[in-house]
Amino acid sequence: MAEIVLQHVMKNYGSLYAVNDVSLTVNDGEFVALVGPSGCGKTTTLNLIAGLLPMSGGDIVIGDRLVNDLDPKDRDIAMVFQNYALYPNKSVYKNLAFPLQMRKLPAEQIDRKVKEAARLLDITHLLERKPRELSGGQQQRVALGRALVRDPAVFLMDEPLSNLDAKLRVQMRSEIKRFHHNLNATIVYVTHDQLEAVTMADKMAVMNGGLLLQYDTPANVFANPVNTFVASFVGSPAMSLIPLDAVTHGTEASLRSPEGWDLPLSPLNARKIASSSTSKIILGARHSTLKLHKSEVPGSVPGKVYTVEPTGDITFAQIFINGAVVNISVEPSVLLTPDEQVFIEFDQDRMHLFDAETTMALQAA
Amino acid sequence: MTIATADHPVSRRPIDGWRWAGRIFLTLLLIFTVMPMIWMLITSLKTGFAAMQYPPQWWPTEPTLGNYTRLLDPTNSVGQEFLRYFWNSLWVSTLTTILAIVVAVPAAYAFSRFRFPGRTVLFFAVLLRNMFPAVIFLVPLFILMRWLGLVNTHGSLVLTYLTFGLPLAIWLLKGFYDNIPIQLEQAARIDGATRLQAFLFIVMPLSTPGIIATAIYSFIGAWNEYIYAYTFLTRHDQMTLPVGIQRFFSENATDWPGLMAATFMMSVPVVVLFLVLQKYFVRALTEGAVKH
Repeated sequence: MAEIVLQHVMKNYGSLYAVNDVSLTVNDGEFVALVGPSGCGKTTTLNLIAGLLPMSGGDIVIGDRLVNDLDPKDRDIAMVFQNYALYPNKSVYKNLAFPLQMRKLPAEQIDRKVKEAARLLDITHLLERKPRELSGGQQQRVALGRALVRDPAVFLMDEPLSNLDAKLRVQMRSEIKRFHHNLNATIVYVTHDQLEAVTMADKMAVMNGGLLLQYDTPANVFANPVNTFVASFVGSPAMSLIPLDAVTHGTEASLRSPEGWDLPLSPLNARKIASSSTSKIILGARHSTLKLHKSEVPGSVPGKVYTVEPTGDITFAQIFINGAVVNISVEPSVLLTPDEQVFIEFDQDRMHLFDAETTMALQAA
Repeated sequence: MTIATADHPVSRRPIDGWRWAGRIFLTLLLIFTVMPMIWMLITSLKTGFAAMQYPPQWWPTEPTLGNYTRLLDPTNSVGQEFLRYFWNSLWVSTLTTILAIVVAVPAAYAFSRFRFPGRTVLFFAVLLRNMFPAVIFLVPLFILMRWLGLVNTHGSLVLTYLTFGLPLAIWLLKGFYDNIPIQLEQAARIDGATRLQAFLFIVMPLSTPGIIATAIYSFIGAWNEYIYAYTFLTRHDQMTLPVGIQRFFSENATDWPGLMAATFMMSVPVVVLFLVLQKYFVRALTEGAVKH
């Protein structure tokens, strides 16, 4: 096992920067998720680590070796692909044996390692089958087996669960997590599904447009998103964002809506407003931090019910506030009808304030 | 339980006439293509006299295999010549096929996998040859071959057949490589293979059907070619079958049964190849048409 260090890694195609100055360190034994929408550069970053693409600039260190100019085969890595990339003309056994044969291990050692990996992943009964005779979950397991069979320094995984159906995905999610725990493996995991990143990873790197926006533990990314993109990308349903105007009077501040209401801010939030130069603010709030009232209470703002989505143990509702759609969750016992007037109370300690122009989160001075 | 059954089930084909028209058309087409072959076979079993009779005998009264034994008997001059031509054809076609595969496989792979300057232009330049009928190149190629000192050698034919066969071979094989996920090679390279090993161990086995189909195309093309063989070769001992069979036409009389027997023998390798490998052939032509 080893750590991975990326320093100012660049990949450009002409003027298009697929990966733009990404620096991050994956510690030994850490599970890091690269997450972002399609085309954000996460898979390119993974391919650069694997050596499948040449870098345009920067350095990559795996273990204590600078691997910039090393072939994929010399980087001591293993990779699990989205479509598994099992060799279709080889049996499961031969798929697992291939990386070992390439390393010219003696036959009996190959046999022992293949059987051990098969036992670990519970695919011993499948060894003689061809990949096309396996189910999606079984193929996934074989792909994992082929990765772990030769005990690499680093595991790279490119959306390994996205071809599975929803139920199997949840199951394999916990299996991969367990796999990480048992092997204490260093894993870089690419996904577009923020839920996978949040649930599985020790740290998540949120990317967009080739840039690394935030690299932190899922809890920290969830609690303190650096900008509106990260805020709305991480968490489901997404964080609601309401554009408002900031109004300050001395040390106090409030957010004003053109609809004619004012939301007074707590002292901490007021300091955030005071330390910024802009008056155009985006207010962010997650559904679980909002309280819904049928009648006006101090510190609440008016809104109109748009849709109601009961899920059984919790009911999600979308409320129009100041022209923005706000997600909120309520007890199933609360009955709401579309176009009903309601009042929403914000949790001042768990609300987020963003600069509307730069989209960056405001910090208290 | 009631289920709304307002719509009548549509089980009857609306216009059956079209289906029958199609069948009749196909039957006519089949007769049109198969009849000459049957006639060839029947004639090859006749004696020289029976073949010239009018009205023709639909079935020979005295069927004989004499024409075939004569062709395959190396002790008489006809058999010697025929076997010589047959061997020449086999040699030229096989060599063409092997060289076509050796060149087309890496070329198609490069066109499929690598992005290099001039890739598109080069690819269409390869296909440009196919826009012109082969005869147009007859004189230029003859001059070229004379300049290379290859006239009256099998080398001239092999080179020419490659000129015509390679574009299609490259095009066909590129389609095959396009359909092999690049992740397989990437996986192989991560698993410890070099680029070449990934190609040899992973991609090549998967593209075998394409290679086989391409080989058949090249082989048939070379096997059947007439005009170039007729132009480039003048020495009898070098002639290939399509030209050599001409020898059955003579000034005074044409040995029709002998000619037909030779023609039948000539079609045997192609038919056998096709029958044995047809599943690859069909796969090559339909590959990528539907998502698997």
